[in-house]
Amino acid sequence: MSTRRVLAIFLKEAQDIRTNKNILLMYLLPFVIVIIYKNFIPNMPVGFVLSFGLMFLAALVGMYVPAMLIAEEKEKCTLDVLMLSPATPLDIFLGKGLLTFVSIIICTVILIFVAGSSLSGAAPIIVGMALTAVFCINFGMIIGLLAQNQMATGVIGTPLYMIFLLVPLLAQLSDSFITKLALLLPTHHFFNMLRLVLEDGKGLGETINQLAIILASIIVSFILLLVVYKRRGLTQDR
Amino acid sequence: MIKVLNLSKRYGQKDALKDASFHVSRGEIFGFLGPNGAGKTTTIKILSGQIAPTGGTAYIMDMDVTREQSRIQANMGIVPEKANLYERLTIEQNLDFFCRLYNADRSQIDYYLHRVGLLQEKSTPVGKLSKGMKQKVLLIRALLHKPSLLFLDEPTSGLDPASAATIHTILRQLNEEGMTIFLTSHNMEEVEKLCHRVAFLNEGSIVAAGTPEELKLQYAARQLRVLLEGEETERILEIDEPQTADAVAAWLRAGKVRSIHSSEPTLADIFVRLTGRDIQ
Repeated sequence: MSTRRVLAIFLKEAQDIRTNKNILLMYLLPFVIVIIYKNFIPNMPVGFVLSFGLMFLAALVGMYVPAMLIAEEKEKCTLDVLMLSPATPLDIFLGKGLLTFVSIIICTVILIFVAGSSLSGAAPIIVGMALTAVFCINFGMIIGLLAQNQMATGVIGTPLYMIFLLVPLLAQLSDSFITKLALLLPTHHFFNMLRLVLEDGKGLGETINQLAIILASIIVSFILLLVVYKRRGLTQDR
Repeated sequence: MIKVLNLSKRYGQKDALKDASFHVSRGEIFGFLGPNGAGKTTTIKILSGQIAPTGGTAYIMDMDVTREQSRIQANMGIVPEKANLYERLTIEQNLDFFCRLYNADRSQIDYYLHRVGLLQEKSTPVGKLSKGMKQKVLLIRALLHKPSLLFLDEPTSGLDPASAATIHTILRQLNEEGMTIFLTSHNMEEVEKLCHRVAFLNEGSIVAAGTPEELKLQYAARQLRVLLEGEETERILEIDEPQTADAVAAWLRAGKVRSIHSSEPTLADIFVRLTGRDIQ
């Protein structure tokens, strides 16, 4: 692994996504949701609006962006030339993941402003988002490895985006099978953590259970990523 | 520079490459010729470590291509057939990215862009470039880390004659500067102009190899075609017949010869003769 090469990939991705309409749309979605909920639905609590927007940011951007970044490189054969360069697969994963991670953290801070929440209690939100983003980025990478092209990321990824995004939201509404399923999802625990912080005013120490579950999920997703990488590799022998 | 012995690659039941053996000397331009699907790209992919061979051995600079890929890759550049550039990035951003990856001198970007006549276009997104321009950018990208060996897969396929001529000039200059060049092509004219030695590849097998001159002489019909004053059709004379020399000398002395040609085949003719199929 080389910091220079990771930063080179990070910089390239940062330059590239500025004109990538598909990806920019994904970044825009959480802001649109927050603005609509805040301005057009009366008496909507700020905490709930922000939680909703942050869930979209973590699950959609966190999974979709790395999946698309890897799948596009495969589809356009740029990954072939990248693999012939000194860049290792680890450099490529870290460079792409870092771009997604940094952009999510920046968007989190902006979303807090847009939702009208105070930055003074933002530390637990940012810590929770950072951990959830790592989990989602790992999963996005797995989708990218499994997909042969950008369209396939939609086919493989959409059911996963729905599960990680909608199940935690639906679990808030009913006590059923969905609630039990939600307990398995780190995004559910992130959503609960956000509600504890934003609606009940809890601090970082009081959300330690949720953070521990998300941390454990990161380890599981990392192992899964390694297994998929070992089986599929970044490029297939064509 | 390159030593290949009994190299083969099988995809399922299909042999993409069968027992190919050849060598490329340092400082040489070597042409690998064959129609589409002959195994040219497969050979480049094996030599560059992108895919593993099914059998045989290949060495580049005395390093095994299956074991020392990263050391080999540091010393070689590849211009693929498909323009795999980042289309949303500008020419400069594309090249700058690879300079950073290779830790190469970034001042070379302007040097090479100037050399290929693209300096004024460096802020243009690659997606807006013509195919010829993209090919030049691919060539520069392959040169940024100063490789000693350059692979080019169909470097002028689909290019207009002017762009192809520019690429040829640059390749000749690079070769004069000491670079070894391995190129695949199905364009016989290109190969005759550029290559010191060539190998014909057909259905995964090498069917002939040598310098273009050697191959032409080897497969020449050993005939002379002579057009004399007052005649409308050429006379065909066998070079090895004893009376041919006397007849030609007499016609020349008498000033009767309008034109005289030896019947050397083109590389395309030789390929058709060896394989029974057209290279295009």
